[in-house]
Amino acid sequence: MSEVLVLGAGGFLGLNTVRAFLSDGITPRCGRRARGNVLGLRGLGVPLVVTDFETPETLREAFRGVDVLVHAAAHYPRFSLTPAETIARGKGELDAVLDAAAASGVRRLVFVSSTATVAPSHTGPSTEADLFASCPEGSTYHALKWSLEQRLGHEARFEIVIACPAACLGPFDWKVGTSALLLATARGARPPHPAGRITTVDARDVARALVFLATEANPPDRLILANETADAHELLVMLAARYGAPLPPASLDARSARTLADAQEREAARVGGRAALPRELVDLIVHAPSIDASRSRSLGLHYRPLSDTLDAWDSWAQRMGLLQRPRTEKSA
Amino acid sequence: MTDELLTQRIFSMMAQLSAVRVADIRLEHRLREDLGLDSVCSMELLSMMAEELDLDVPMEEAAQVTTVASTVDMARRHLALRQIALS
Repeated sequence: MSEVLVLGAGGFLGLNTVRAFLSDGITPRCGRRARGNVLGLRGLGVPLVVTDFETPETLREAFRGVDVLVHAAAHYPRFSLTPAETIARGKGELDAVLDAAAASGVRRLVFVSSTATVAPSHTGPSTEADLFASCPEGSTYHALKWSLEQRLGHEARFEIVIACPAACLGPFDWKVGTSALLLATARGARPPHPAGRITTVDARDVARALVFLATEANPPDRLILANETADAHELLVMLAARYGAPLPPASLDARSARTLADAQEREAARVGGRAALPRELVDLIVHAPSIDASRSRSLGLHYRPLSDTLDAWDSWAQRMGLLQRPRTEKSA
Repeated sequence: MTDELLTQRIFSMMAQLSAVRVADIRLEHRLREDLGLDSVCSMELLSMMAEELDLDVPMEEAAQVTTVASTVDMARRHLALRQIALS
């Protein structure tokens, strides 16, 4: 197998992806920011290279001799308060990666996008063919992801493969991104949430799919990676029962949820920290289309049941001290 | 490395990531409440420390650290483990 580099290797999807490559006998180079958390990578014995998006020389140096680049480090805004700045930064960072990849002779880039770019279909569940015709309005997150896919659509210097994962759950979400609602429910915080749907997927299955897209001779240009779709409130009710936690509050309508999320983000931006209800999560739930991921299944990719994902997340979250360990008979 | 030098190196790393000056950092300070380091910044701090001191700190162990004193203790413990491994 030729040389692979994973951008964002120390993050949630990155750590799962690096492990998936290793289990296939491929040791990828691992791109990391000069100042980032690489504790999860150091124990794996993988080569670390600095990939600073604001310093193109580091990218060209890191990409030298790389055949396939897996980009799991696209800009993901912590807050959705500044759409123009967010999109400009995301596009600027992507341009830096693309230019360095072209200069270094990279053959293929596997880009991790999102189901946020999958448009609703009028004929049934949405597939890979459903892409918003114009930039989605009213959501910084959706607009950013759409803008990045548009940029990739104009890239002709090497192969582009786009993966569109749903809301990823599983071990190594150490920044507590997608797991935020899950953790809040498990802790009995009864998180506010909008009415809508949520499509989930196990991060380990996404990682397997990324390895497939990196190594397959003729991968599809765009592939949805999604498992179960559930009503967001019903999912939280199920999670509350699983963790013996209080039931979640009633769902908020879209406008109330956006107002609450925006207020929480403004406050978090002012005092530091994170919003309990991030705006991008609201937008993902409110705008979630019905998804058809049958193409990925037809390619031999599998999705484990949500219960397996939650078991793995529980175990990891307990080791990280995010969740209390269940009491044993002896300690009870 | 002396204990004092180790502590000073760790304080210096903390000052790089927080708005608190080295001279104002105390062992009894809490990473979040006193130094303003959220969980992501705390993990970055411990990663930086592991790299600068060449320590293998599991992420699960790093996640339990909440104070300046426990950060220094963890570094001290892993340095000792490395010494044992090398001897």
